[in-house]
Amino acid sequence: MTGRRRGRLVGAAEITALLLCVVAFATPWLTHNLFVLSVINQILIATMAAYSVHVMLRMNLLSFAVPAFMAMGGFAGALVAKHGGTNVLLVGGVSFLVPALIALPLGILILRLRGVYFVLVTYIFSEILQLLLFETPHLTGGSNGISGIPAATFLAQSFSSSAAVLQIAAGLALVATVVTAALCQWCEQPFAAIDENETLAASLGLVIWRFKALGFVVAAGLAGLAGLSLVLMLLTAHPSSFSPLSSVNYITYAIVGGRASILGPAVGSALLVFAGNIFSSQGEYSPGFFGVLILLVVFIARGGITGAVHTLWSRRRKQPASLAASTKLQDLA
Amino acid sequence: MLEIDRLEVRYGGITALRGISIEVKEGETVLLVGANGAGKSSLINAVMGLVPAESGTIRFANADLSSLSCDRRARAGIGYAPEGRRVFPSLSVTDNVLAGAFGLGRARQSEALSWLHESFPLLAERGNQLAGQLSGGEQQIVALARAMASFPKLLLLDEPFLGLAPVWIARISEAIRAMQRLGTTILMTEQMARPALKLATRGYVIRGGEVRRSGPVAEIRDLALADEYL
Repeated sequence: MTGRRRGRLVGAAEITALLLCVVAFATPWLTHNLFVLSVINQILIATMAAYSVHVMLRMNLLSFAVPAFMAMGGFAGALVAKHGGTNVLLVGGVSFLVPALIALPLGILILRLRGVYFVLVTYIFSEILQLLLFETPHLTGGSNGISGIPAATFLAQSFSSSAAVLQIAAGLALVATVVTAALCQWCEQPFAAIDENETLAASLGLVIWRFKALGFVVAAGLAGLAGLSLVLMLLTAHPSSFSPLSSVNYITYAIVGGRASILGPAVGSALLVFAGNIFSSQGEYSPGFFGVLILLVVFIARGGITGAVHTLWSRRRKQPASLAASTKLQDLA
Repeated sequence: MLEIDRLEVRYGGITALRGISIEVKEGETVLLVGANGAGKSSLINAVMGLVPAESGTIRFANADLSSLSCDRRARAGIGYAPEGRRVFPSLSVTDNVLAGAFGLGRARQSEALSWLHESFPLLAERGNQLAGQLSGGEQQIVALARAMASFPKLLLLDEPFLGLAPVWIARISEAIRAMQRLGTTILMTEQMARPALKLATRGYVIRGGEVRRSGPVAEIRDLALADEYL
């Protein structure tokens, strides 16, 4: 097996992830089935949130702060749409930048922590933000949330139908995919070094906090885009849409899909959101279902679905080569 | 180049270094030799900033290192090859080597890489292979090259021969000689005194966190070889 190739800007995984966004964007022209459109919209939102988890996992950090940053992005987008402007570029930009800017000072404080302490602090952060959303009604609408959000617009076109909302989500997911791929490519070596041996990486001169802060800020922005998509889909920004416990779902999507490739979050989200909708009549069993899946991944396929597929593919490619070699030996004999 | 004065390092209630003083001059290769647990690695780790000093001072190129973090010490010109190699197993050999040149620009990185390819042909031959798939000796070459990639003024080598077969000890020794020819100042620790003494100009025999004897290699050889079997 060869190592990661330097200088490779776009690989098969990145192209596939981008193509999936394009396919999602084109779905309204292929079908008008509202169930299908809704499920694909949910998958796109979950994928963006799982990208946020994915970026942090690349540095061996498990973040439970995704719902908090989603809430920041969602509420900021809703407020701008109501009081500032509805242009999708403006609303999307604000939804990315607000959580990213808040993540910078927060990251400087909490990125010194490792392991279980980091997990705990990010979870507590999500809980505190949830409380703040309920306790600041003049800004967030409190327990009523923000409703009556006007439809996003672009070039004088209003995106109000379910199909149009899906297309906005697909566009935001495309941006999130490009940002995630660019970050993971640009920081591939430092992220891998931090993931595998942070102390050793520091002893080689790597400024650990700088890369961790960069990853944390971008992850917050990605979650903000997911939050905006969720708000646009629900037509309301409500604190309960950003429950701290929902972070478990996003982490599951990223881990079950596979943490080594950008396709992992997309595959994990697609599979589990689809399964969640199919088994929605037995909704009370879904946490158990997710738990079993995580156990299966931990014990059977630690690289997740994409990792397992990659391993099987590599084995299949090696088999013909070894067969050819043995045939050659037989010929020589 | 490196002056360590009355350095004390503790791990909880255990004192690893008891007021140790050591000096390394420019261009020298200084060997710290001693039995397992003597405090050799603690000293290297304290110089690198991986363990905090309880008291004493560490000065490098006339600057006090005590307030500098580990990464800033590396960028100040200290290269480090840790005990037990510790390569990044999922990165390729080339990426592992370049990890030692994190702070350098692209041009300087490729300069370092082509120079290291010349010095260690193995790095070019196995460039795309995962470092985790190499043998122990090959990993040690990668670790040495990684430590050299930033063109350090001082190179810290912690037990470079640990667990290696004689053929690899000879190859690693040759690699260290190549670094010496380039004028690199080296501070190395080694439990296997015999091959290490052939490379060093001066040495310190350490026992129980204290210097028992120091001086030119010829003067410490007997005590160092006695410690080799402890």
